[in-house]
Amino acid sequence: MPALAIRDLTGPAGAPELRGVSLDVPSARTNLVLGPIHAGKTMLMRLIVGLERAEHGTIEVDGEAFDASNVSDRVLRRIRTRIGVVFEGSALVSRISVIENVELPLLEHTGATAADAREDARALLAQVGLVVESDTMPYQLGRAAQRRVAIARALALRPAILLLDEPTLGLDAHAAAELDDTLTRLQESQGFGALIFSHEVRYAYGPVYEIFVMSDGAIVARGNKTTLRDDPHETVQQLLNRRGRR
Amino acid sequence: MTSLIVPSAGAPPLVSDPPVIVTPRGIAAASGRFISRGRLAARTFYWLLWLIFARRGRVGSGVEREMEALGIGALRLVIGASMLVGLIATFQIAYQLSTYSAETMSARALGWFAARELGTIVTALLVVARSASAIAGEFASMSASGELDALRAMGLDPVKYLVAPKLAALLVSLPALTVLSDAAILFGGWIGNSLFLNYSTAFYIDQVREALQLRDVAIGLGKSVLFAVVLVIVAADAGLSVERRVGAISGAATRAVVFCMIGILAMDTVVNAIFYFIPGLI
Repeated sequence: MPALAIRDLTGPAGAPELRGVSLDVPSARTNLVLGPIHAGKTMLMRLIVGLERAEHGTIEVDGEAFDASNVSDRVLRRIRTRIGVVFEGSALVSRISVIENVELPLLEHTGATAADAREDARALLAQVGLVVESDTMPYQLGRAAQRRVAIARALALRPAILLLDEPTLGLDAHAAAELDDTLTRLQESQGFGALIFSHEVRYAYGPVYEIFVMSDGAIVARGNKTTLRDDPHETVQQLLNRRGRR
Repeated sequence: MTSLIVPSAGAPPLVSDPPVIVTPRGIAAASGRFISRGRLAARTFYWLLWLIFARRGRVGSGVEREMEALGIGALRLVIGASMLVGLIATFQIAYQLSTYSAETMSARALGWFAARELGTIVTALLVVARSASAIAGEFASMSASGELDALRAMGLDPVKYLVAPKLAALLVSLPALTVLSDAAILFGGWIGNSLFLNYSTAFYIDQVREALQLRDVAIGLGKSVLFAVVLVIVAADAGLSVERRVGAISGAATRAVVFCMIGILAMDTVVNAIFYFIPGLI
């Protein structure tokens, strides 16, 4: 059973930017949606999470399929507990502390007491390599640490699939490599599927299971770094062979 | 169709809203805005009830935080400004009444007017000036930085976590501030009466006690509850409905202040009209 399966997803409704997108992410594997800026990667992520309503298409998360163009708030709320999302720029809630950010989904969805949620939040932060004071605010952390908090928050409900939008954007090479290692370690221990949306070609040369190349709102090629090298599509050649020439 | 108000040429307006134009499209846009605020109000009251009756305490701490920011934070401003308003009103009332040789009635007039109207509207407008732009700006910046999307993606309703605690806080703190404002206006009136009009403190207190009725205080407090609802819903709607871009923040803040002031004055007019035109209510 795949952690995430998308079939013929077109949206958003009314003014579609994405047309007929289909992809799968198996459990405990990382797939990559690779594409230039404005290819539609972030919109695809927003459609999966239900932040935008699709024109048509189906999405299956952890065995539960739903019509993306006609999904009730109740189903969406349930589905969202199975999806962890790390937004570009982390998107931590700035008015509350770092620990409270991680506590939010626990208190909302698990019925945990305040004390239990605080303990779980500390454990989650420790898993991503962070120890913070109770009153540490998001703005007091650096970009890399904020990204780690966002990952801890996204994993709070033990999701089946983790979506990461440009997870290492703006980080230096060392911090980016450390974050990749943390993600790999967490995936090995928790078994979630991961889908990375990025324009960074370096991911294609990392431990990704399948690569989906996106251009102008459509998946134009899929495969792995070896098979895609021979793909004639212009975007694929521009993305992958640019690194190859270096 | 020709517009009744033609925008003047020159510098671009600070607020990005189009000018008030009486066209079918303008009316449709205004209706849409009204409906959107109505929906937001319904959702906010739903979550307000949840806040009151649910046992889980996450949002409880949010209410305390909001009361500190919206209520206690406005304390010095409201008390200071209300004292000055009390002084100003005393001079104005005494001056007008002197035409009829009735300056001695100025304390009585102030007592009646402070509780029923002045304290309520002064407090509401001061809190609008201080907090409406802050509420709208906060929500607009959260929208621009993706924080609202992050909440939604976690299955959390921003109305529940952001708007309902603000409404709960203001429903308590605005009436409380109004009572303090009434007292500060009367204190300002006492300074004016005793220092400048040379009436004794005992005379001033007697006059105010005769004029001040519990019913007037209750009407003032009732209005402040309505004003709290208008303030939170209009400011929150201005902040939550902006596009996801940084430049939209200042426009949302300005819009919130303008529409909150208009909304509160309109609400006050309606309430006063009801009390005036329905016999027995006044």
